[in-house]
Amino acid sequence: MIPAPAGKRWAATVNGRPFEVLAPSNAVLLDVLRDKVGTLGVKRGCDLGTCGCCTVMIDGVPKLSCLTLAGQVQGADIITVEGLSDGAHLAPIQTCFATHGGSQCGFCTPGFLVASQALLNENENPTRQEIACAIEGNLCRCTGYQQIIDSIEAAAAIHRGESETLAPASEPHPDPHPSGPGEPTMPPGHAK
Amino acid sequence: MGSYRQQPGASPSEVRKDGKRVAGKQVFPPPGSGGSEPKMRPRDLDYIPETVGGREPKPAGDHIHDRDRTGTIVGKAIPLVDSNAKVTGQAWYGDDVRLPGELIGKILRSPHHYARIKSIDTSRVEALPGVVAVSTGQDAPNRFGVLPVTKDEHAMAVDKVRHVGDLVACVAAVDESTAIEALSLFDIEWEELEPVFDPKKGLEDHDEPIHWRGKYHLARTNVQKRVFQEFGDRSLVKTPHAASHGSWTMLGVHHGFTEPHAVVAHWDPNGRLQLYTPQQVPHYTHRALSTVLDVPMHQINVVRTFVGGGFGGKSDPFPHEMCAAILARKSGAPVRITFDREEVYWINRGRHPSHIDVKMTADTEGRISGFDIDALIDGGGFASFGHVTSYYNGVLATAPYELGSFHYTGARVWTNKPASGAMRGHGAVNTRCAVEVGLDEMAEQMNVDPIDLRLANLLPPHSRTISGFRITSNGMREALERVREGSSWDSKFRQLPLGKGIGIGCGFFISGSGLPIHWDPKNFPHATVHIQVDMDGGVTVHTGAADIGQGSTTAVAQVVAEVLALPIEMIHVRSHESDTSPVDLGSYSSRVTFMNANAAIRAAIGIRDQLLKAAWEMLGYHPNVLVLNDRRIYYKHDPAVGVSYLQALHKAQADTGALIARGAYRSPPMGGVHKGAAAGLAPAYSFSAYVAEVDVDIETGLISCTNVWAAHDCGKALNPLAVKGQIIGSCHMGLGQVLTEKMVYGRTGHLQNANLLDYKIPSVHEMPHVEAIIVESSDPEGPFGAKEAGEGPLLPILPAVVNAVYDAIGVRLRDLPLTPDVVYSGIQKHLKKNGLEEPEDIESPRLSHGPLQEILVARGDEHRERDRLRQRSEDTSAYVNGVLFGFDPDRPLSEQVEGWREADEPLPEQLAELGFAGRAWLKKEQRHMEDDA
Repeated sequence: MIPAPAGKRWAATVNGRPFEVLAPSNAVLLDVLRDKVGTLGVKRGCDLGTCGCCTVMIDGVPKLSCLTLAGQVQGADIITVEGLSDGAHLAPIQTCFATHGGSQCGFCTPGFLVASQALLNENENPTRQEIACAIEGNLCRCTGYQQIIDSIEAAAAIHRGESETLAPASEPHPDPHPSGPGEPTMPPGHAK
Repeated sequence: MGSYRQQPGASPSEVRKDGKRVAGKQVFPPPGSGGSEPKMRPRDLDYIPETVGGREPKPAGDHIHDRDRTGTIVGKAIPLVDSNAKVTGQAWYGDDVRLPGELIGKILRSPHHYARIKSIDTSRVEALPGVVAVSTGQDAPNRFGVLPVTKDEHAMAVDKVRHVGDLVACVAAVDESTAIEALSLFDIEWEELEPVFDPKKGLEDHDEPIHWRGKYHLARTNVQKRVFQEFGDRSLVKTPHAASHGSWTMLGVHHGFTEPHAVVAHWDPNGRLQLYTPQQVPHYTHRALSTVLDVPMHQINVVRTFVGGGFGGKSDPFPHEMCAAILARKSGAPVRITFDREEVYWINRGRHPSHIDVKMTADTEGRISGFDIDALIDGGGFASFGHVTSYYNGVLATAPYELGSFHYTGARVWTNKPASGAMRGHGAVNTRCAVEVGLDEMAEQMNVDPIDLRLANLLPPHSRTISGFRITSNGMREALERVREGSSWDSKFRQLPLGKGIGIGCGFFISGSGLPIHWDPKNFPHATVHIQVDMDGGVTVHTGAADIGQGSTTAVAQVVAEVLALPIEMIHVRSHESDTSPVDLGSYSSRVTFMNANAAIRAAIGIRDQLLKAAWEMLGYHPNVLVLNDRRIYYKHDPAVGVSYLQALHKAQADTGALIARGAYRSPPMGGVHKGAAAGLAPAYSFSAYVAEVDVDIETGLISCTNVWAAHDCGKALNPLAVKGQIIGSCHMGLGQVLTEKMVYGRTGHLQNANLLDYKIPSVHEMPHVEAIIVESSDPEGPFGAKEAGEGPLLPILPAVVNAVYDAIGVRLRDLPLTPDVVYSGIQKHLKKNGLEEPEDIESPRLSHGPLQEILVARGDEHRERDRLRQRSEDTSAYVNGVLFGFDPDRPLSEQVEGWREADEPLPEQLAELGFAGRAWLKKEQRHMEDDA
């Protein structure tokens, strides 16, 4: 929440759309995003820069919005978790977090997604160690990180165009709706 | 990008080469109608049990739900059904509920550890422009608490504050800065009282006990609950072949969920309260709100938002939920209260700081002749779940091993700190760690392998523990064998160089508390699920199961999809509102999968039967020979003869409308009759065994855990992806407790690290590689054989790490967490004691097998066959704890053994030798003191 309503004009591009709101000069970016812009996907976990739930991309760089004054990023290009998908399609990183168990309670997920998307934008072929370094500023209490790293690895493979499958390699996730022409569609003994 | 489709329908990527836009394909293929274009995939035999003609192996034999399997989705690794909401940022947690015209609520917290409120003057607060409502404890004098036996909380302090951070008053204002300013304007007159911080002091009489229980109060102490339990033949412990005695100090730990508590309250125009809260147990909040606000339950709708992690920390009804409701009632506007991280620690409910003393003995045949446990636990300012925790610290150590005798004294004391409560692995974690490390020590004395010691002393499937718990399925042996093999234990244990170590730990946990907290289990079910299917064929499932990220919604959707053979996208689970959900006990005691999925299966069978009856009428074949598969019902011997799901549905709906069905689950009657017999009772138990590998820096004492092999018996993995997630996540949380996490109370009793910077949750770099191994013992009463996987997997990681540290440096450490300073001083003491100069001079412990090793291995091998026969129900004879010691399971043990004890109070001659917690038994209750007077 923002202290004192007396506001200054604050403008930035959030998820590709221009926003102009009134915010006091000491307003924290996290508050502006949640309370004024309405991107509630940016989460508040600790207010101290320790949990990473509030991570957003500012001009392509993942940053903690709870430690950023809104005034510092006037006119910047900000991407939150809401900006990762194009509205009709989830980004590979989002799909992979779902299919590989990278998200349990989901509260830390927006921060992880933004941090890992920033990594994939820079590096489409990260090692597990590089992935770990990219998400070291994010705390997750549910998953123990292992399935998060799996998710990011899988998304990287899709970014490289190597993999179209979204399922974990060890345990194939069966497509619930195989409906292609080659499918065995008729039960045995069926007389047409 | 087509395969990442979020929404069906037109989208930019559906532009054809000729530039024409076409509508996107629908997700759903046409159902198998049996008509001119039949499209039905064959049954997935890999996911249909071999016992009913499929290919899924069933080593544990038949299961009652095998015939309900359709190969649709159970056993497959699928994403959580709500994961798309979570990865798009659209999941709505407590603070994301924004109602028009909302006010911001803030809570005034006590600056004193222990003080009486002499007066509160709110006039300056009310005069501040922008303040809309103010409330103090006088507005809500009714007490509440999660357990009906210990209602000791108020919305705000009525008379006394009991810890720094205790709630004193609250305000609602137009914005947060006004609300914060208002907090500084309360004029309060305090009378400070002498606080108690040390739980040992809590056992002594005090001028002003933190709570007063009237005639049930124990003298003038701060003891909230004392427990004594003794079973078995105590003479066995007198002449031990091996013995271990360890005194442990375990600091408190917090759940550390990432979402701080938040609540929104709103009284709708009809005067009904709508309360939005991230709760694991919305029903208890519902009850408490009714009590505190003096409003009948049917005038309250508790809406569970998405829960950003619970782990037990969001299972009490909370005072701030009451405050929001009171402020909203006073102001006539919605009120939102969101905690900052510090407030999260003030409300706490984390794991109890504990002093645990464990003595154990083994006889000449390597049998465990006795456990003797004393647990003094620090409850903080309120009771919370503490009544139960006091029992769990003892009774959850009565398995998985067969014991000659069991003796437990426990006490929970009030101190002037934030209240402890239930946390993942409730009450079992600390004692389990102490017990498993004790076994390691005894194995060393007997010169045997600790895994073989365990394998030779396991209770078999379908048996009874010494305290009377009914064990059904039991995958303990398989779990131990698989981690032994996976970790190459036999080529590493006691053979690694100094500084590297490997250790074993086991676990045992309840899968759903057998007794519901708030009602009579003989009358009301534990869980109820309603299903409704209307003309469109979509299945709406109403359940009160609170999904806290563990995937309970997914589990319920899966079992319904499985029974009805429908794609899971057709199952819509509605579980957020108490208005539409049947009453459910909530997400605690690892009960949700077991109880809710069981209820959901029953409800789904109710729907299925209606569909099959309609198909019978249409096809003329009895339901016994009809098969459900992928939206089609057909004749078993000629699949061409069939009807589509929708045809059958519409037939069944003729004249009656939407199909509805309900299912309920109630655990069977079980357990003994002694006092406290109900604590720890569960319809099933999970088992787990972990091996951990550590590196210890012998110069600095820094431990890093490098590898974990984690085998957990969850009965049947409904969703292996989620089960593995639970196992790895449990490792993470347990590693935090054993290596870095602690709530630090300074000399002044003040909590010094109420933030995530100083409270050290392991980051990605501290996480070892965890090899999650799923053991499936197929529980006879579990849904498709499933048991819990959420809490049990936490238990073994602590002792596995502590034992591995011993293997690495030969020093037994018993102060958790094992931070570098603890390890360093342990190493220094070890050097001094053994006259060594440098840490490099320490000799790693080594093992050369003694004569007992062969005996244990032979017994373990013999028991493997015994367990197999019992698991597969080929041997259905009675088995109770004590058979290993030569007793007849068909006769009461008290007849067979002289001096067999089953006691819930100490004998007078025992009083002198009781441990710390046991000393609570030296005091008398007020009513007995009055008798004496």
